[in-house]
Amino acid sequence: MTTTPHYVIIGSGSAGFGAAKTLRTGDADCRITMVTMDSLPFYNRYNLPQVFHGRHDWRDLMDVPPAQYAELGIELRRRSRVVDVDGAQRFVSLAHQEHVAYDRLLVCAGGRGYLPENLTEYFGLMHGFGSFEAAMRLHKDLPKGGTAIMIGGDMTGIDLAMTLLETGYNVTLITTSQTFWPHRVTTQERDRLLAALEAAGMKVLKDTRAVGVSRENSGKPAACVTLEDGTEVRGDVVMPFCGLASSVEFMLRADVDIERGLLVTPELHTSNETIWAAGDVCQIWHDQEKAYKFFHGWKNVRVMGELAARNMLGANEIFDVNIEDRIDVDADGKISSTFWIH
Amino acid sequence: MNERVQPVYLEEKLEEIRADGHLEYRSKSLPTWCPGCGYFSMVEGLTTALKRLEIDSKDTVVVSGIGCASRFPFFVNTYGFHTLHGRVLPVATGVKIGNDALTVVAVGGDGDAFAIGGGHIPHAARRNVNLTYLVFDNGIYGLTKGQTSPTSALGFKTSSTPYENRDAPLHPLMMLLSYGASWVGQAYAGRQHHLADMITQAVSHQGFSFLRVLSPCVTFDKTNNTYANLNTTVRDLPDDHDNSNLMAAMNQASRDDHPALGLYYKEDRETLEQVMKATASRSVKTGTGRADKQ
Amino acid sequence: MIKSNDTDIQIAICGSAGDGTIASGDIMKRAAAAMGFNVIAFDVYPPEIRGFGKCISRIRISSKQTYSLKQESDVLVSLNDSHAIPHAAEVRDFGVVIYDDNLVARVAEGGHISAHIDAAQIPYGFSIRQISEQATNSSRSRNVVILGCLAGLFDLSAENFHDIIAKKFATKAQSVIDDNTKAFDAGLKAGRTVFRLDDIKVRAGKIKSNGAEAVMMTGNGAVVRGFLESEIESYFGYPITPATSIMERLAVEMPPRGGKFLQTEDEISAIAATIGAAYTGSRAATATSGPGLALMAEMIGLGVMAEVPSVVVVSQRGGPSTGLPTKTEQSDLNLAVFGGSGDAQRIVLAPTNVEGCYRCAGMAFDIAEIYQTPVILLIDLYLSNRYETVVPADAGTYTPKPRPQINLEGGENYKRFEMTKNHISPRALPGQPGLMYTATGLEHNEQGRPNDDAHMDMSIKRHEKLKGAVHYPGLNVSKRFGDKGKVDVGILGWGSTFGEILETMYQAQAEGISCSAMKVVMLSPLPLQSIEDFFDDCREVLIPELNYEGQFAGLVCGALGRPVTRLSRATGSPMVVREILDEVRRLSGREPAPVQAVGAMGARS
Repeated sequence: MTTTPHYVIIGSGSAGFGAAKTLRTGDADCRITMVTMDSLPFYNRYNLPQVFHGRHDWRDLMDVPPAQYAELGIELRRRSRVVDVDGAQRFVSLAHQEHVAYDRLLVCAGGRGYLPENLTEYFGLMHGFGSFEAAMRLHKDLPKGGTAIMIGGDMTGIDLAMTLLETGYNVTLITTSQTFWPHRVTTQERDRLLAALEAAGMKVLKDTRAVGVSRENSGKPAACVTLEDGTEVRGDVVMPFCGLASSVEFMLRADVDIERGLLVTPELHTSNETIWAAGDVCQIWHDQEKAYKFFHGWKNVRVMGELAARNMLGANEIFDVNIEDRIDVDADGKISSTFWIH
Repeated sequence: MNERVQPVYLEEKLEEIRADGHLEYRSKSLPTWCPGCGYFSMVEGLTTALKRLEIDSKDTVVVSGIGCASRFPFFVNTYGFHTLHGRVLPVATGVKIGNDALTVVAVGGDGDAFAIGGGHIPHAARRNVNLTYLVFDNGIYGLTKGQTSPTSALGFKTSSTPYENRDAPLHPLMMLLSYGASWVGQAYAGRQHHLADMITQAVSHQGFSFLRVLSPCVTFDKTNNTYANLNTTVRDLPDDHDNSNLMAAMNQASRDDHPALGLYYKEDRETLEQVMKATASRSVKTGTGRADKQ
Repeated sequence: MIKSNDTDIQIAICGSAGDGTIASGDIMKRAAAAMGFNVIAFDVYPPEIRGFGKCISRIRISSKQTYSLKQESDVLVSLNDSHAIPHAAEVRDFGVVIYDDNLVARVAEGGHISAHIDAAQIPYGFSIRQISEQATNSSRSRNVVILGCLAGLFDLSAENFHDIIAKKFATKAQSVIDDNTKAFDAGLKAGRTVFRLDDIKVRAGKIKSNGAEAVMMTGNGAVVRGFLESEIESYFGYPITPATSIMERLAVEMPPRGGKFLQTEDEISAIAATIGAAYTGSRAATATSGPGLALMAEMIGLGVMAEVPSVVVVSQRGGPSTGLPTKTEQSDLNLAVFGGSGDAQRIVLAPTNVEGCYRCAGMAFDIAEIYQTPVILLIDLYLSNRYETVVPADAGTYTPKPRPQINLEGGENYKRFEMTKNHISPRALPGQPGLMYTATGLEHNEQGRPNDDAHMDMSIKRHEKLKGAVHYPGLNVSKRFGDKGKVDVGILGWGSTFGEILETMYQAQAEGISCSAMKVVMLSPLPLQSIEDFFDDCREVLIPELNYEGQFAGLVCGALGRPVTRLSRATGSPMVVREILDEVRRLSGREPAPVQAVGAMGARS
């Protein structure tokens, strides 16, 4: 390691940005590079439903001004796709043909929306919600008072659905096992929650399965989901909300252990000496359960990023799993979740 | 050959000019040259030539630089432009291009021509501007009272070469021949009729004509280019001189010890004005012009 | 003044000489002009003639009149990252950097421009090379692909681009036009798919003016056009940067119009022939730069003394001596106004923009002929080479006035330098009978005969006759902009710098500073009354100019004897608006808070 170490962070979400700030606090001189596929500097994705409250300028969604990157001395590489990490030679290969060498690497690439296998072929016909661009596209494609069909209904989707209902849209939910992900709910809880959603105006289709998606350019509404019994559900957009799948494919040659996510110790250290991971991309060893577990939600993610950064700087802290994981519905039928930021 | 020239005085000269019938070409201003100066003969020579060629004085522009010889325009009744030291040829070129119906005569001395103005001569010559350049070469700077010039003889003691001139003199005729002048001749102020004939030929030539006139400075040169010396050294070009043969002309021009008078070389070549007219008609055909193309 | 809903974007295209950077900028600016926008553009070339040096084409496209390039660009397009990286910082916050994100060869760490894009700037990567290769089987169309990307991104009319591409390659094979069109269309498709995150607004352009179609031209091109429309007859020139293109263009344009064009052996010959031709009545001009003007000084003095009209264009570059041949400067003012021996006042016009070059060149012959004196058109490299949209004058605006007829009676009594009421004497031209005279550089009497005793009277005549020139119709020899009446700060300027001065003034006004700006187009004789009035109205007067000595400030101070604040910069680059603005703020006596750009979140450090 050189006298001023180079820390490279893959990912620019809550974990990545929190880690970068922590690194800078701990080491005023180190070099910090943040590599991301995103086009924008850090903004909180949990705020994206705000697009439907008229916040169409991405700058309104930002918690920190872009100038903070320069102030913190963070070299931000946007629209940069990592194709490979060489864990032995310690460099990151970017798709545009550039290698970025690191001394220590933090992977917080997060995950992308999971799609049930039988629907993957319909990916192009559905709308995502993972970025500001996707949120704006949805806003553009969803006519005023139109209907969004959600498949699954994880907590990101439920959050959006509540906003859509508040702002005069219709939502049809086709439940799956990922409904309310990442919360694990009992059957009774689930029914109570679905009832609350229906009370809020949502159309809920239980005990069925989406088997196909189609779009027609003539006639409205354009989108159609075919259920296993052959019935058709019509709406303007179709959105899968079935939880996250970790983005790990670029780590295959990085000399780290991988299962569904990057496997890390409670210190968030991977099996490679100079690589750490944080956020939705990693599975953390859980000593009581003797298993690697995902910990989702903005609070977990933020804590992980900061903790990994401190450990990269030489600390030896352990990820504390005591963060609350709870979903509830109150007497007025209002749902609250520790997953949500509000 | 022994046409000995005496100093000329105004009254008798005026009478003579009136009798010749070319008073209309003479200015009301009197030449300011020293009595006996060879330059008087060029006023005589040019006015005679214009009269013979029936060129109207209003259609004639005499352009000069700076020096004794360059006072010339004031002493003829044509349009005149007394310009800057050494710049007679570019100004005369501009005058001719500005109005090619004009007869343009450039005049000057050897310092004006070959020292400060030396850089312009090759270009006027190679372009074959249709004008006549009369250089009155006395091998001395007269107006500034006697300094050495580019054609001063070796060994000449002047006010700027008090220990004698060691700079080799130029060979104006050889220079002009190699520059591509299409008419090159030499005359002598002491042979006035021949001078008038040569000026007449030079002016009537279509193209750049260069006439060197050997001309004594009676005030500042008592040793080299005196009438006495020149009267004995000048000669005529041989009768069989072929003035279309450049090398023969060069050969004759190299004989500094016995300068030959006459037409050394003559060539018919497209003049600058003709080139410009040809370019104009060619450009109209190709028609590439577009003002806003920049 | 630019308002928030006006279109006003500046695009910088940066690449190496082999990338077609300048050609790309050329199509961009022509297309923008065809869309009806105002365009100001300036290309920066490498000093080397060959090789792969850096080229930048900067194009400002506006729906309103603008006066200079902007300090910050809204869009940077990289055709070569190593050249473009140093310019990433010139892109404003929430502006755009366009680059190739699909390189063939590996670059060193930090060698890709994405490493240098600030967090507040918006990166748009395209597979520029790949798009070019797929469209035309060649990577050589990258410079046209990026134009398509720009058109797609900002919804610019593809039709105008197609049209300009067809015109630009009209002399080439049809396949060249086809390939470039294909490359453009492929880029257009790519550009349209981008979800835009920048805050650049482009609204359809509007043709300004009296219906005449605006034409794109450089300052030098405008001089040429002004000369041609005022029926220049003779031109003599010698190559020198940055004036050469005037000569090259006239060499093409004059022969078909019957004009006489000659490349001379040096600048002395060029001005000498110009004055020789002008002496015969021909409309004659030459063009040069500072070093050439130094050589011409003596002959211009002859023009003054002999009262011969002529026009000399001087495009300044950095000096002294050979100086900075490819950089701009305003340091030949003293030479233009005073150069030469003796009291030799001449007329000096310094236009402030391309349209001014056109107008001044169009009027220069007439002014020279009326006042019988050399007219110097003093511009600079920044003005010579920058492009602006100019609305052409109505036909005949600049054609010659009927030349003054001289009473041919009594040739004996003709006095070429006759003392008249307005000190302007009847000028005879060779060929006119009975009026023969000799023009001379010697001091002379009314007849033109050498005469030392006439010196005082003739000096009065030569200076007094020029006084009326400040009232020449149609030429605003000075003009005030901004706040009327008493103001805190007045910015006085000349030449190309005035664009930056106006931009500064409008910004200062937006900050609430009481501010005016005045341009002085005629530097000799100075329009003293209007300058004096300006001083009377301004508590502080600031003179920004591109030279070290503050030559214009010296000229004005010498004439008025009043204090000014100088902002003299000799950097080889155009004036920086920010620097002028800081000085204006200081002189105004307060430090107003910087005004935030519309929608901006905060200034980039």
